[in-house]
This record gives sequence, C-alpha cells and structure tokens, in this order.
Amino acid sequence: MSLPYTTNELMAVTAARLLRDGENVVVGLGLPQIAALLAQNTHAPNLTIIYEIGVINPEAEEMGVGVADPRLWYKAEHFTSFVGTLGAILQKGLIDVGFLGGLQVDKYGNINSTLVKTEKGTRHINGSGGAADMATMARRLLIMMRHEKRKIVDSLDYLTSVGYLRGYDSRKEEGLPVPEDVKIITNLCVFGFDEKTKAIKVLSIHPGVKPEDVIQNTGVALDLSSGVKTTDEPTAEEIDLLRKKIDPQRMYI
Amino acid sequence: MNSKVRALKDIVAEIPDGAHIALGGFAITRNPVAFVFELIRQGKKNLTVYQIVGGMETDLLVGAGLVKRLEYSAGSLDRFGRLERINEAIDKKLIDVREYSGTSMALRFLAGSMGIPFIPTKYLLGTEMLKVLLEKKDDAVRVERSPFDGEKYVYLKALQPDFAIIHAQYADEKGNVIIEGPYWDVETAKSAKKLFVTVEKVVSTEFVKRHPEKVIIPSVYVHAVAEVPFGAFPNAVYKCYDYDKEMLEEYAEVSKDGEKFKKFVDEYILGTKDFEEFLEKVGGVRRLNKIKADPVYGY
Repeated sequence: MSLPYTTNELMAVTAARLLRDGENVVVGLGLPQIAALLAQNTHAPNLTIIYEIGVINPEAEEMGVGVADPRLWYKAEHFTSFVGTLGAILQKGLIDVGFLGGLQVDKYGNINSTLVKTEKGTRHINGSGGAADMATMARRLLIMMRHEKRKIVDSLDYLTSVGYLRGYDSRKEEGLPVPEDVKIITNLCVFGFDEKTKAIKVLSIHPGVKPEDVIQNTGVALDLSSGVKTTDEPTAEEIDLLRKKIDPQRMYI
Repeated sequence: MNSKVRALKDIVAEIPDGAHIALGGFAITRNPVAFVFELIRQGKKNLTVYQIVGGMETDLLVGAGLVKRLEYSAGSLDRFGRLERINEAIDKKLIDVREYSGTSMALRFLAGSMGIPFIPTKYLLGTEMLKVLLEKKDDAVRVERSPFDGEKYVYLKALQPDFAIIHAQYADEKGNVIIEGPYWDVETAKSAKKLFVTVEKVVSTEFVKRHPEKVIIPSVYVHAVAEVPFGAFPNAVYKCYDYDKEMLEEYAEVSKDGEKFKKFVDEYILGTKDFEEFLEKVGGVRRLNKIKADPVYGY
C-alpha cells in the first residue's frame, strides 16, 4: 500500500499532536524540531520552543545541522545560557515536554546515547549533552527513534537518560521526580508504558504496518494478541505545512 | 588605563603544562579554535580540559596528545560527524574521561562562578554517568540527602579551573565582552581563576558604553583579550560568519584516521606560524568572504 505521505512525516505529525497549546518544549534537531514547529503552526500557537544552547522561541527559516547552528536562532525571543535553559527553566519544573532520541531504548524507556558494546569492544559515540537532564526533569518525554531489534532492547549497554528506570516506583525510590507520561514514536508504531509496572506496550501501529513487523523488529517481547489500534493519519493540511513551510528543503521529512 | 589586549602567542604562553582549562565552544559554534591551534603549536602537555559540549577544538587537543583528562558531557561536529579522536581516546583508554550530563557540567561552572563550594541537583541520579563517577571515587560528586527537604540530591563540587578560554564577537580593551546570540559559556567563562577571551574585533569603550546591555561578561572577570579575526573558523560565529561546511567535512573525514589526522595537524597547525597564516593557506579572504554573515540572518 502506498501512502500519500512519508514515514517521517507521519512521525512528525504524530509527535506534533501530542503537544498542547501553551506548553514549554525542549527540542533537538530533526524530527522533534519539525514536530514542535508543526504544532506551533496548527493547534498550539502558544507553544514555547527551547533549545538547550540558550535559545527561546526562534522562527528559523532554514533547518540547521544542530542546535549550535545559527540558522536555528533566527528571530528568537530570548537568548540565555545553558544554565538559563536546562539549569533554570527545566530544573524549576517549567518544561512540559522533552524530546529525546538515542542509540538504544529499553523496556522501561531508559535511553543510551553514549556508547555501544560490540564484539570488538566498547565504541563511544557522542555523550549525553542535555538529554539526560531533560529525561530527569521534563514532565513528559517523547522519544523518537528508528525501530530496530538491536535498538529497542531488554537491557541497555549504558544508561544515559532515565525513563522509568527499573519500572514500578523505582524512579521515586531513586530520588527522581516521576514523569506524567513517556511515549516512543518509531517508524513502525507508538509505544506507551503500563501504568503500574511501567513496562513498554504498543499503543498504535502505523498504517500499512503489520503487527508481526513490530514484534519481529523489537528486542523486547510484546503481546499484541488482543489487537491494537492504527495510528491516526496526517491530514492534507499538516502535510502541506510540513512540505511548504516547515521543511521545504526536505532535510528531515 | 592598562589595556588587557595582548597577542595570542603571549597569553597562550601563560598556560603551563598540567594546567586545568575550561573551553567555551559548543559543537560547531564560537569555538576557541585559534587558541587551541596555538596551544598545539606551543606543545603544551598534560592538560585537564573541562567543557559542556565539545567540538573540533577539543578533538584536536585530545588527538594531538595534549590532554591527560577530559571532563565534559558530549561533543560532536553536529551533522558533519563525531569527535573521532576523543571517541578513540576513550575506547582505548588513552585519557581519563569523566562524563557528566550537560547541565551538571554547567552547574559545576555556575557554582565556581559564584564562589560557592558546591551545588545540589537531581540531575545525574539513576544514570550510568553517576555510577561511573562514584566507582572512580571522583571527589567532585557526592549523593546526599538535603538538610532542607530530606530528598536525595547529587552534590556537585564547584569548578574553578586555572584558565577559561572563550571566543566572542567583541570586547573593549578594558575586557568588557560582548556576546551576540546565546551565551551557553558565560558560567564557564566566569568560573575560572583567569579568563582569556579571543574576539573577532576589539571595539572602543565608547561603543561598549553605548550598548552596555550587550556586555555579557564585564571586565572584572577578564584577565586578557586577544584579537583574532575568524578565530573560530571553520566553526560559526553568530552575526560574523557561518561555519565552513567544506572544512568541517574535511575534518570529519581526516579525524577518523590517526595518520590523516596527524597530517592535518602537521600541515595546518604545526606547519603555520600563526592563525592568520593558516587562514591564508586554506584560501584567505576569498574563502572567508563566502561565509561572511548576512546582517539580517546572522549566518
């Protein structure tokens, strides 16, 4: 079945719809940034977008190569420091949604963005930057990543950013504030977490994707026997905005 | 009045082997590249480097063998690539690396900038960064309950490095530093015992007095200023110039391979007498004109 939108577009739209008007969102580059801009251009005009480097509510006309790209700072409302964003606004509890990506995520939503262990030994990748901090303090976490068996796993090679830690009340026991919600949006489905055990579960499967595809590409055992719903499709207006206004150079969609 | 403006070579010469230095760059922007080139030219040894998010400058320092210990949260060339010399040094255990989260690094600098001994935070709790730091018995990190709310916090020891080095757009000769755009590195700068600032241009104090709100770091914090136009090249400086895509791509490629990296350092750093000669060597005014910032967009 061929759909009139790309998987990245569907992911961006799905994430955008999870943002509410008036919320404060910390984003990184790529799909999270695109999702936040789409929300701002549709149902959430009062969304505040924050980049950890110290930029608040810019109106970039071009996509950049990272939050350190001055393209992303165009027409900002405020410039501050790293302490001003994640040291103050986030730590004070004013961030509603933190967007995260990573190399691996486990069944409790914990993320590894630091290293991978291979047969040849440990390979260090990038490090956490502000991601671990967002995972600690944001009220809700939205994780976006490619869906592969080696990326959604039972246990991580390294725990960079805390999700629900070891499930149940483990986060609280560790002295951490407990997030209201954690969701993972992949190219195949949307995951949420069980209210009590905090274990991963499928919330919806993207149009055209079979349940077996999700099971086969996930490194954690999933039970889909009682059926799951299909992810809502993007509207023509959303796709139009993405292509014409938000990412006209098609860098990320 | 004594001017704080000095030659880059001379301020770099003030840094002894074994010094603890903090750097202000962030991935591909406002990196003190010219300063780092000069550190490498002068053959400094056994440095301890502190930074929130590193870029090419820190990768060069590690790759050229100047660094004995690195404390940071992450680093990359953004979409252009990874910091391969640092990654390899970590994998092969060539340097002592202490990894923090971005904010825990920034808060260590904040505490240092305020002259307080430590700062409490929830950041790092539950992470493997914390686990590793505790296993290494790092004296900068303790987990304690707060006497006020009884909650568990990570207590981070204040960082006051011997030197901080940042690159900014402007400063006057008194050392009032104007930063345009975000200033993620202001606490890093203020935390150090001695702050060195390289700037695109030294401006008059008359100019500063007409725009005091643009002064992000007042002169009281500043030890010396060096004027180094294009001193962050090939990285970006907001309102001055964009990053040089070709050179970052070249670096991303050569840094994957030890031999090619060494050739890069030999040719561009050790093979030039100063940063100006390096800029000339890679294309001079013709190349730099291409990345000059548009005054409206700032890139």
